[in-house]
Amino acid sequence: MAGNISRRKLFNGALAAGLAAGSAPGGFAQAGKKSQETKLPDVWGQDFLYQWSPPDNVKRDLTPGKSPIRLSHIQMTSEEGTDYGQLFKSMRAGGWTACEIGSAQWFNRKLSESEKRNIKAEAKANDIDFYGIHCAGNIIAPDPEAEHWQRHIIDAYNSAEEMGCKLILTHTGSMYSNRNTPHPLNWSREGWTRSVNALKNIAKSTSGGKTWIAIEPVNSEAINNPWAQVRLREDVGDSRIMSGLDITNMVYPGVAFRMTEFTNLVFDLLEDQIAYIHAKDFVWNGMMAGLNWAMNGTGNMDYETFLTRISRIKHPVNMLVEFLSGEEDYREAQRNIRAVAKKVGVQVEGTQPA
Amino acid sequence: MKKQISLALGIAILGLPVATLAATNFSGSWVRDGSKSDPVPMTAYWLTRPQEAGIGGGRGGNGPGGGRGPQVPMVIQQTANSMEVTQPQGDVHKYVLDGKPHARPTDTGIQKATVTASFQGDTLVIGTQQPWGGMPGNISLDVKEVW
Repeated sequence: MAGNISRRKLFNGALAAGLAAGSAPGGFAQAGKKSQETKLPDVWGQDFLYQWSPPDNVKRDLTPGKSPIRLSHIQMTSEEGTDYGQLFKSMRAGGWTACEIGSAQWFNRKLSESEKRNIKAEAKANDIDFYGIHCAGNIIAPDPEAEHWQRHIIDAYNSAEEMGCKLILTHTGSMYSNRNTPHPLNWSREGWTRSVNALKNIAKSTSGGKTWIAIEPVNSEAINNPWAQVRLREDVGDSRIMSGLDITNMVYPGVAFRMTEFTNLVFDLLEDQIAYIHAKDFVWNGMMAGLNWAMNGTGNMDYETFLTRISRIKHPVNMLVEFLSGEEDYREAQRNIRAVAKKVGVQVEGTQPA
Repeated sequence: MKKQISLALGIAILGLPVATLAATNFSGSWVRDGSKSDPVPMTAYWLTRPQEAGIGGGRGGNGPGGGRGPQVPMVIQQTANSMEVTQPQGDVHKYVLDGKPHARPTDTGIQKATVTASFQGDTLVIGTQQPWGGMPGNISLDVKEVW
């Protein structure tokens, strides 16, 4: 899993995915070359205007795969005195079978070796997959902040390795200090180069590790589309660079009503580069381009296609339900996801209480 | 198996002078009596964040500078075996009152809803099954209206 990635191998893999998606051959971005339009295919020909409406009768292949999905939502804590057995037991009782922890919480205090062993043992005993550390920070912030946050990511990586977690999750960030504030140059060559160099530094400092470095795409950052995720992995040149896929984070008005096609395109391009998934939903119900959160399964996301495609990934996938308002919302989200999964024949681990 | 969500809306309506010809004929113009009615959920936009005050009420669709205008009535035309309802927003829904399922496009025009309508005694019962927001891949929504 770890180690340098062959550009030829990556390009061939991406090409095959592109052909499967029905796009033009030779179309995937090589370093320094962009030979494919990074957009959904035209619906009514190139002479028409914005093609934001879906074509009639979009074909949906809802054939499920064999990979089960584990649902997660951030309930993990490492506060002093935590009864991990009880914590994991309560997660499972609620139907949540995987968890991750925020890096700020994780590094808030130094855990003893016996406490780390206890976490691993209780997670295993309760069949909870403690799969990752969700990292704070901004690795391309103005210097010297960038260096500080890259160090933070490296520390999180090493800790994840020690705990046997599958992944760390980070963003490429913003050229402003706050990664959630889009800087006008985030999508410039400078923004891209800073992103690639930051990850090269992290990869070099953690070489030999097996933990994935999952990058979450976000509209406000350079990594805001599936093509960028493919190219980032190639430009960093390390197969540990994966996608912490959040499709909703990449939605803009042009695809807001073409989510079946967009979801398929994302999975065709990324396939097994996907380390894990964020589950959200959205609606566009205002005059401006701002999108609003929606309960999972009730908005524009095509959850049937979404879950089906996840189940076809070759490795089991954890799915984080996030950004809801309260516990009742999380329960409702889980009910909806399980209902859609059952309808299309996708396996979701665990059982949600009635 | 699909997720079933049932909504039974209690809506009280006040007949305008032209309304109410007979107990089982709803032809006429009607306005909603908010004081006696349950809140109507925005099925397409069930946000997890609180909505701005006014959206879904008088602001939506009124454009810049708009405010709460006079309440627009719902208009119903009913025959022996059909009913056409023109909603205050202008949407027109047609029902065949034969108790059989009929397909119609959802409000998004992208998906299909299945509607069953029939009289049960003096009461008109309309059942609608559709994807929640009328988009592909939504959970299923069941709405039962009792008139």
